[in-house]
This record gives sequence, C-alpha cells and structure tokens, in this order.
Amino acid sequence: MRFYTVLWAGLLGIVIVEVLLTYGGLRPLPLLIALLALALIGAGVVLMYFMHLRYERRILFWSLIPALVFALVMLDHIWPDAFRVTSMRLPVAASSTPAGGG
Amino acid sequence: MSHAEVSMEHVHGAVTEERPFGVSSKKLVMWLFIIADAATFGAILFAYGYVRVGSPDWTKPFEFFPTILNGIVMTIVLLTSSLTMMGAVRAASAGRPTAIRWLGATILLGTAFVVLHLREWSLMIREGWSPSRNPLGGSPLFGATFFGITGLSLLHIVAGVIALAVVTLLYRRGRLDASYIETTGLYWHFVDLVWIFVFPLVYLLNAR
Repeated sequence: MRFYTVLWAGLLGIVIVEVLLTYGGLRPLPLLIALLALALIGAGVVLMYFMHLRYERRILFWSLIPALVFALVMLDHIWPDAFRVTSMRLPVAASSTPAGGG
Repeated sequence: MSHAEVSMEHVHGAVTEERPFGVSSKKLVMWLFIIADAATFGAILFAYGYVRVGSPDWTKPFEFFPTILNGIVMTIVLLTSSLTMMGAVRAASAGRPTAIRWLGATILLGTAFVVLHLREWSLMIREGWSPSRNPLGGSPLFGATFFGITGLSLLHIVAGVIALAVVTLLYRRGRLDASYIETTGLYWHFVDLVWIFVFPLVYLLNAR
C-alpha cells in the first residue's frame, strides 16, 4: 500500500498546485492549459496504477485508449457545428421569395 | 462458453480458447462501459467549453469560501476513497478479512462526498441558482452546465456507493469472490478520474 499512498499524496499535490495556479494571477488561456495538463497527469496516474491498466496486457490499453481519444477528438471537432444551426436558418424575407425566381 | 464446452472441459481438460485481453469477461465489460462513459463525460465537458466561450456574459460566481474550499475537501475525500478502494482490492485478492473494513471506509467516504455535494447544491439553490436561472444576472447557461455536469457525476457516485454496499454485503456472505470487488473498484476509480477533470474545469475556472 505504500506505493499507492505515495501516488495518492501526489494526486493531492496536484490539487494543491491547481488551486495555487488558479489564484496565481495567470491569464485564462495559460491557466486552462496548465489545469488541463495537471488533470491529464492525475488521470493518467489513476488509469495506469489505480485501475491497473499498466499491469494488464498491452492489447487492452491499445484497444481502449486510442479509440477513446479518437472519439473525443472527433467530438471536439464537430461540436462547433452546433453553432452553425442558428445561421443556417433562412431569413424570413428570403423564405417568402419563390425559389429560382432570379 | 456453451454447456457442451463446459462438459468437454470436465471430461477432456481445458479446451477453451485463451482470453484475448487476458481479463475476465466482467472486467472487460466494465472497461467497455468506462470507455463509453468517458466519451459521455468528454462530450458534456466539450459542450461546456463551447457554451462558455460562446457566452460573453459568462458568470464566475465561486468565492474561495465556501465553494472552492468545499470543492477541495470533496476532492480530497474522493481521492482518499480511491486509496481505500485500492486497499479493499488488495486485501480481497489476498483473502484477508480486512477487505470488508476497507470497503466500509470507501462507502463512508463516498457518502461523505455525496453529502458535501448536496449541501453545496442546496446552498446554491437557496441563493437562486437553478439549471435555467442565474441570480447574478449573467448567462443562465452557467446553471445548466454546472448542474448538468456535477449532477451526472453525482449520479455516478451515488450509483457507485450503492454498488459498493451491495458487493460488500454479498462478499461478506461469501456469495461473491474478490474479482467482483476488483471490477467494482474499476468503476469507483473511474468516477474519481472524472472528478479530477470536473474540479479544475467547472470549479476552479469559475473562481473569482
């Protein structure tokens, strides 16, 4: 358990660093990048050690994690399309004009 | 495995195929669920990001006391519950009776997290926050994203506490073996992993 206690202390350390960075006067974008990087490190520790993915066969890791990353990247890629919906509606005046009239 | 294959195994020895991932089927199913659930959380966190960037009047309502401090305590409680869950998995796989105590500690910590979370929600609701209302006058989408993301996380933790209680009870009665504790532990670590993203993105980035 000593190994996992050290990892747990490391995760608590990450939380403390995150709070210090939040109140450290960083601008929003660098703060977002720093917080995301720290969260990814913490998540990696939980995934690989607490969830034992490091000790499983490599095929389990390579079957699951790249697929998840791909899905998340695609989600991130297509989300901005949600904002196009409002601008895709035809204006009221234009919709009353007969199609192909010009 | 069919009944015929089971019978063959008894008569002729091992005739089953090797497991391709080297894990039991219930553990593999749990991994597949976790990956699908991670995509769900990823989707709502991305949506939160886009909504936030697209709202010029976004509100940052959280003071250090009580909200951020409460969030820190909640995070420590949840991280500690992952450590006690690890203790339960190790004790159960070694056949030690202390597994029950570790599981009890994990359930207690999970319950403490739920209580702290509900207390925070009730304080916010009393101040006038709701999924469609912002008492500070900014974008009402803050309430929608905050209650949506933390609500889904809370739902997972409540489900985890219930699952842990059931598994503990059945393990104590000898009806489940250590592998069930390991599989439930995977789920519990996953809800911890989700919170590792929720705390900085939803709490700290909205701190004043």
